[in-house]
Amino acid sequence: MPLIAFAVSIGMLSGVAGYQHAPPDLEGWREIAWPFARDGWPAGRAFRCSSQACGEQIEIYLRPKIGFCNCDSGVADDDEVDRVADLDLISERFVPVEPGHPIQLADMRGRIRAYELTMGDRSRRVAVGVVVSRRCDLLVAVAQGNGTASGVQRLALEFLGSGDVSRWMLAAMSGQ
Amino acid sequence: MRHRALLIAATSVVFLSCCAGAEAQQQVIGAPPEAFNMRLVGSNDLQARSAYQPTIHHQGDRWIAYIGHHGGTDAVPAPLNPITGKAEPNGTSILDVTDPAHPQYLRHIPGQEGKYEGGGAQMVRVCDGKALPKGDRNAVYMLRTFGSEAHEIWNVAEPANPVLITRLGGLKDTHKSWWECDTGIGFLVSGAPEWRTRRMTQVYDLSDPAHPLKIRDFGLSGQEPGATGAVPTELHGPISAGPEANRVYFGYGTNKGGILQIVDRDKLINGPKEPTPDNLRLPEISRLNLSAFNGAHTTFPLRGMPIAEFARDKDGNSRDIVMIVDEAILNECNEPRQMVWFADVSVESRPMMISSYTVAEASGSFCERGGRFGAHSSNESMAPVYYKKMAFIAFFNAGVRALDIRDPYHPTEVGYFIPSITAATDKRCVTIDGKDRCKVAIQTNNVETDERGYVYIVDRANTGLHILELTGAARGVAGLR
Repeated sequence: MPLIAFAVSIGMLSGVAGYQHAPPDLEGWREIAWPFARDGWPAGRAFRCSSQACGEQIEIYLRPKIGFCNCDSGVADDDEVDRVADLDLISERFVPVEPGHPIQLADMRGRIRAYELTMGDRSRRVAVGVVVSRRCDLLVAVAQGNGTASGVQRLALEFLGSGDVSRWMLAAMSGQ
Repeated sequence: MRHRALLIAATSVVFLSCCAGAEAQQQVIGAPPEAFNMRLVGSNDLQARSAYQPTIHHQGDRWIAYIGHHGGTDAVPAPLNPITGKAEPNGTSILDVTDPAHPQYLRHIPGQEGKYEGGGAQMVRVCDGKALPKGDRNAVYMLRTFGSEAHEIWNVAEPANPVLITRLGGLKDTHKSWWECDTGIGFLVSGAPEWRTRRMTQVYDLSDPAHPLKIRDFGLSGQEPGATGAVPTELHGPISAGPEANRVYFGYGTNKGGILQIVDRDKLINGPKEPTPDNLRLPEISRLNLSAFNGAHTTFPLRGMPIAEFARDKDGNSRDIVMIVDEAILNECNEPRQMVWFADVSVESRPMMISSYTVAEASGSFCERGGRFGAHSSNESMAPVYYKKMAFIAFFNAGVRALDIRDPYHPTEVGYFIPSITAATDKRCVTIDGKDRCKVAIQTNNVETDERGYVYIVDRANTGLHILELTGAARGVAGLR
């Protein structure tokens, strides 16, 4: 009996792993390797949509950040988005375009805010940071592109709201 | 195929024996404490309140313990205070520990309503009025946080009847502050509303506790109001070495991206105060960036330590050391190990990590026991009985660990004590497949020592206060008989 239980648990783990790496159900998007060096949080998932498919090339990076001390206040303000939305992985130099606003993703509440980034070669890009929370944990996403902030935001929200991505976010926040 | 079946069978045996062994390490009510070279002298349940910081103060001919609490729990947001007969939000416990075998609970001062880190009054420091430059000589002042919204100063000359003196409000968050009793300067961990970080420093002149004077706000450049770009790691706590040494050691980060910042105290207090990037950088002498895997909860200075191994060296035989303690925050080892680091800061412009310490996980299957496993904090008393000889580290489910730090290049564990759990000990959970799986384990949260050599540990999971003493060879390390 223990042998069977063990084999079943291994099978379940494989199933979870397979599910977690399934491609998103949105046409034009494909998963790419996590493009950043290791930092304090485990690597997440990265996706790209080409300009042919999305009208402009856009990349989005998302990952859970499990374990914060401020468990009750959630994503309280725009400063929280500035601090945790992984913008600094793309560039340490970013300026908000406007105040952020509340958002709900996969039944988690948080905030979204648009930024202008200055890259190492001084070129400019736009980015949108999204942070939602559940209890003491965060799910963060940052999307970047060359177009307008509103365009990046629209594409990012469309992607994040898709069924596969929502399911993955919920699974990731549940320790799967 | 047969090979495969054998492999699965063998793996299963390993799996089962691993987990059966781990299960045996689970704490159970009624089991004795686990100890080596440390002994339980006395205890108090602290009304089953989650405890953070103990401060022990010699007050006349009495020894008084002031213990700060986190907020309440989901199950019991405001525990009953049997003295008043009322349910009170967790705040500050005051105990007479003159006889450490029989601690007397004197008073509970309620804190901010709220649960876990969202309430309570977790930090506490105490200064005698006669030590403060402008204090009432008959007063004893207790500085505490009030949840996440204020700092307060109370007169606790009569510890059973404290009187509120001052309240500094309007904050977003607070944490472990430092108060110089000889000058009155307070380095208060606050969350000033306009700052981009939850926690930064507000420097106050508290030499007259009835009339606090704000000196300045301070933090890492990039945290100040109006800044843009990446926001540096938030403050955890400072420790000042005082005006003579002219240094303040700031620890930033919890379990990630830690920074030890060495600051010129005089420039901090007397330099330009407007929080501009240049003004924030001016007092900084240097900083040591830890790995992204580790934070800096406590940065405890050990200046001028003679190193026996270097005794015959013409130069560098005495070293300035900072002991850096990370904080584990996730249950059941779901993060990189948080531990203790020793940095040689003798050449301040080039601080260098020289050694580290952690509890051996396998010595107690601590990743399986439940709750947090890893370091949190050290004792912060600089009383001669232990200073530069021994350090005590709160290590959550591994209890308190006694380190021989006389050679900080090779710190050595010489004792430990893991209290027994009780019916009051709260559960700690992890999420597995979307469901909570909970275990009960001791969560030694903080530790302090007194001038007599007693060691006070408090539990985050509501098990209370345990007063300990060293035994065996560990007493010899401290020079105790």
